[in-house]
Amino acid sequence: MLTLYHWEPNANSGKPMLALAEKGVAYQSHYLDLLNFDQHRPEYLRVNPDGTIPALVHDDRILTESTPMMEYIDEAFDGPPLRPADPKARWRMRWWMRFFDAYFAPSLSMIGWSVFVGPAVRHRDRRELEAAIERIPLESRRIAWRKAMFNEFSEGELAESRRRAAFGTDALEKHLTEHKWIAGDSFSLGDINGFNLGYALPISQPDRCNDQKTPHIMEWLRSIYERPATKATWAKGRTQMVERVKLLERKHAANRS
Amino acid sequence: MLELYHSEPNVYFLKPLIALEEAQAPFTSRYFDPGSLEQYSPRFPQNTESMLHLEREGPVLVDGGTILSGSFFILEYIAEANPGAHLPLADPLGRYRARAWGQFNALQLAPGVCALGCAKYLAPALKALDQEQLRARIERLEPKERRASWAAVIDGSYDEQTLAKIRERLGMPVKRIESALAAGRWLAGDTYSIADIDAFALLSPLADLAPELVGERATPRITEFLRAVRARPAVEKALAHARTPNPQQAFVPGAEPSRWG
Repeated sequence: MLTLYHWEPNANSGKPMLALAEKGVAYQSHYLDLLNFDQHRPEYLRVNPDGTIPALVHDDRILTESTPMMEYIDEAFDGPPLRPADPKARWRMRWWMRFFDAYFAPSLSMIGWSVFVGPAVRHRDRRELEAAIERIPLESRRIAWRKAMFNEFSEGELAESRRRAAFGTDALEKHLTEHKWIAGDSFSLGDINGFNLGYALPISQPDRCNDQKTPHIMEWLRSIYERPATKATWAKGRTQMVERVKLLERKHAANRS
Repeated sequence: MLELYHSEPNVYFLKPLIALEEAQAPFTSRYFDPGSLEQYSPRFPQNTESMLHLEREGPVLVDGGTILSGSFFILEYIAEANPGAHLPLADPLGRYRARAWGQFNALQLAPGVCALGCAKYLAPALKALDQEQLRARIERLEPKERRASWAAVIDGSYDEQTLAKIRERLGMPVKRIESALAAGRWLAGDTYSIADIDAFALLSPLADLAPELVGERATPRITEFLRAVRARPAVEKALAHARTPNPQQAFVPGAEPSRWG
């Protein structure tokens, strides 16, 4: 029995969704609406007391960290391998996943939370929002939600996040100039991780991430977008945000004339 | 032949030393003094990853032409390249737990440990140097994040209020590890693994830096765990790489705490 608790195919939720699709593993999907705070409700806290998404339940095993979860998916199920066999390439895959998870993603998500997540919930009743914050188990997540809900990100914090988003984009472009895929020669979990982080970069960082300035990122995103597993995964989205992925559709020669 | 670029056997630098000794993998020790900033010189092995890695200052393992950085990922590399050492756990769930602990400790535990250690030991050591010269050298460091981590040690960023908050934040990861050890003597499963090497290197200094958080009284299970790991012959050999009398007081700027506040 395999159940995945997830939100939209995006960021951390999209990582195990896409990994499972690439492996061809069927699972029971349990959608949680992040903007409705489903992840902090008692029924979900029984699965993951931290109240973070995603969570994977495999028989009696509960996994709650999305990046190690992807390696578990690759190890525990049959299907095409999603990690290179060479230990050096594996090291490179893991190094970049950490760079994505702990440097690039927090900066992009701070921008995303200030322009999208915060405004999406801010109009609600203040007491309702305060009560929602009270139900969040982790202090770090309470701080994040408070900042997003009440627009408490400082200009300095946002400026640093924008700087890091630009720096991360340039570092990724350089990496993809030297390597076809994140781990090196073959598609891996590193690309699944990076795609979830970066599929909307051409929209969120249009001056920085485009065909002229970052041709390798654009080609990499488009090749991942064209994989059947990606198409199937993003089709599971329920909101407008996942529509952004369609920007990666290649313009065919016939359309250009 | 593997070459390990390391400093005193403490925190990040201790991890690969223990793993290499556990695996009985032959390696050449390349000792360096991070306080001299020689790791920024062009003679030091460098690639994009070693310059950008989020530990700021850490060990580098060179295998043939490949330069590996990131101390937990180096542990995984040593474990996978030396399967006979049985450092990775035997089952996928055990390996998941080891990786989840590695990530959790890197993000929740390491930044606070490094900050407390730098405030207590590195800051006074740097104060003894010619300040103008030191500042001039730090100002030239790239990338910005690594420059900032050195600057923070000398510019008074670690004031009492900041340190108190760091101690408070360390409570959560320490409690979580203490609870996890109730289920068994090792962190990720029934046997000793890279998760234990990782946690040992990060938790050990806290008995000195924050005795109210880690010690016989506050955390009996962690204390027993530290004792059990410390008793391993490989750990003894790893600690023998020290060149100063008190390697447990050797700190360098480490990973930054979450920027979300």
